[in-house]
Amino acid sequence: MNAPAHKVCMLGDFGVGKTSLVARFVRSTFSDKYLTTVGVKVDSKEVVLANGHPLKLVVWDIAGRSALDALGVHYLRGASALLLVADGTRESSLSSTLNLLMQSRNLLPDAVAVLAVNKLDLVERWEVAPSTLAELRRSLPVFETSALSGDGVERAFADIAARLSP
Amino acid sequence: MSIDAWLPAPVGNYLRATLIDRAHPLLLSFDAGWHLRDVQGDAAFYGIDTGDPRQSLRELQDLFIGLPLDDHQDIPFVELANGRSAHVHLIVDGPGFHVLLLDAEDARARERVQQQLGHETAIAGHEKSKAIGKLKEIRSELEHQRAALEDANALKNALIATLSHEFRTPLTSIFGYLHLLERRIDGSEHATQALNAIRRNATHLFTLAENLLEYGRGESAGSTLLHPVEVDLAALLRDLEAMFRPLAEDKGLAFRTNLVLDDAAPPLFDEVRLRQVAINLLSNAVRYTARGEVSVDIVWRDGKLGVDVRDSGIGIPPEYRDSVFKPFNHGGPSGRKGAGLGLSIVRRLIEQMQGSLTLDSQSGRGSHFHVDLPPLAHAPANAGAATARDATPFHGEGRSVLVVDDDPDIAHLLDALLCDLGFRVQVADNAAAAIEAATRQAPDVLLIDVELPGLSGNAAVFQLRSHGYCGRIVTLSATPTREARDASLRAGADYYLTKPLDIDQFVGVMQRAAQVT
Repeated sequence: MNAPAHKVCMLGDFGVGKTSLVARFVRSTFSDKYLTTVGVKVDSKEVVLANGHPLKLVVWDIAGRSALDALGVHYLRGASALLLVADGTRESSLSSTLNLLMQSRNLLPDAVAVLAVNKLDLVERWEVAPSTLAELRRSLPVFETSALSGDGVERAFADIAARLSP
Repeated sequence: MSIDAWLPAPVGNYLRATLIDRAHPLLLSFDAGWHLRDVQGDAAFYGIDTGDPRQSLRELQDLFIGLPLDDHQDIPFVELANGRSAHVHLIVDGPGFHVLLLDAEDARARERVQQQLGHETAIAGHEKSKAIGKLKEIRSELEHQRAALEDANALKNALIATLSHEFRTPLTSIFGYLHLLERRIDGSEHATQALNAIRRNATHLFTLAENLLEYGRGESAGSTLLHPVEVDLAALLRDLEAMFRPLAEDKGLAFRTNLVLDDAAPPLFDEVRLRQVAINLLSNAVRYTARGEVSVDIVWRDGKLGVDVRDSGIGIPPEYRDSVFKPFNHGGPSGRKGAGLGLSIVRRLIEQMQGSLTLDSQSGRGSHFHVDLPPLAHAPANAGAATARDATPFHGEGRSVLVVDDDPDIAHLLDALLCDLGFRVQVADNAAAAIEAATRQAPDVLLIDVELPGLSGNAAVFQLRSHGYCGRIVTLSATPTREARDASLRAGADYYLTKPLDIDQFVGVMQRAAQVT
């Protein structure tokens, strides 16, 4: 029996590490070379839920953007979950991501939304304050992640999977 | 209107063939249950293995998760498993549907180049803004620290000026009364030894205090200003001899001096610094020599001043030749006899005067310090006034002098010294009393302390001159700077002496002041 599949869209500003998070989650790899994503790259990974049931996450790595345009809307259609990604070293990327979340709510009012604040390995250079994340945690799940080290990545996707389980 | 309706058939055929050729279409036909029914086109071009297409088909199927299959779908720029980019279309056809892939690799490559450049520029711009912000922070912090350092430096300079005054005034008393006592003892060996001990320790204290203050001044701009005056080298050598011969003889050492004046030009040097160099070198020589002799040679020849200080003391081994010139050095063979500042200050002073210092030493056999100094360029017209003197014996012969000093010890000392010289002495302890007495009695010489409480000595001098006082005026100050000297002379003084009082110099100045009235 096939595991139920859910479309998860990576959403965030350019350069925040969406492609790197997917590579870490799906292939356990990391490259520090920045190559901008054009269009979309779709990967999938099956996870096992706490109840032992499998669930397939079909992860759409969408080109970064600071606002949702027509093409972005096109890619989001049918998504069950959004993994919002911000770069901790660029506070403006957090604003962009939250802006994208608000815009996407028109199209996907019920989609699961989880925030990954990436580049934890560069925490000494973070502009995002701990108090900001503490405030955000009151309205959505927040994970500090590092695609480089893998910290927090599995937990972020596992949280999405848990929220998608029937 | 259909394109075939207006395009000539050959053009339509050509256009169709060209566009299809460029688009590399691959058509995959499915029934409603995603079962592959037909494949048209180059599947391998998109990495699809038609022999076992299951994995590829699952990936295609994933693209349409959550989307209705009874409506046309269009997903642009999808990166496929083989890395190529394609526009993926779903076209409904009855109960089934077709998935059409059109090549988008070239378009993606162009788009990527543009976006990559834009994104990298934006990220670099952000990093640049952060770096500029950080630099501004650092600059602000540096400014803050600089201001704090300036405050601390100003405080330090004020402290040094105060300490300088506080050291010099009591030393004036000590040396002055020592002089008086040395003149009055009647050959008692015990008393002579006691006075020698006082002189030795007072000299040590004086040298130590001067060195600490010089070290405290550091390399600030004010401390490196040179004050060239015409130096009476014979008088300098006499002072050195007066200071160190008793100390050397007290240890049973021979003390030898030699002066060579082969240049007719006036020797222009910073006398305070020159004196400090010689005192430090001689102080070390006497301190570290247990037997034998200490000598000092001063040679003014061919526009250069040479100072040679030799001793037959413990010497400095080669491994300590550099470290002895470092401040607070106690690593040499001498151990902890002094503060460890003397030679470091000697080197600093010589560097300030653009001179050179060489050391020749043999462990256990003695040391030879040779100083070469080029003369300074200019001497102020009146700067030599305070140092000019006559070595011939002098008596005041009834000349009147008004002594003004608020320190009763100093006032009494000056009174005793001047009485010894034959002056008729009157004493006042403040500027107002001095003005009144000088105006009323018009003494031949006014000897006045600059640092008086209330109205300063300089202010009193100025007022007396402005009221027509014509006698000679000698000011006495604990501030040994060019600025302080100039201020006194501008106020109307004829001579400027500094504490601690050099008795020979004092006698010479008083003699000249009395003679010209």
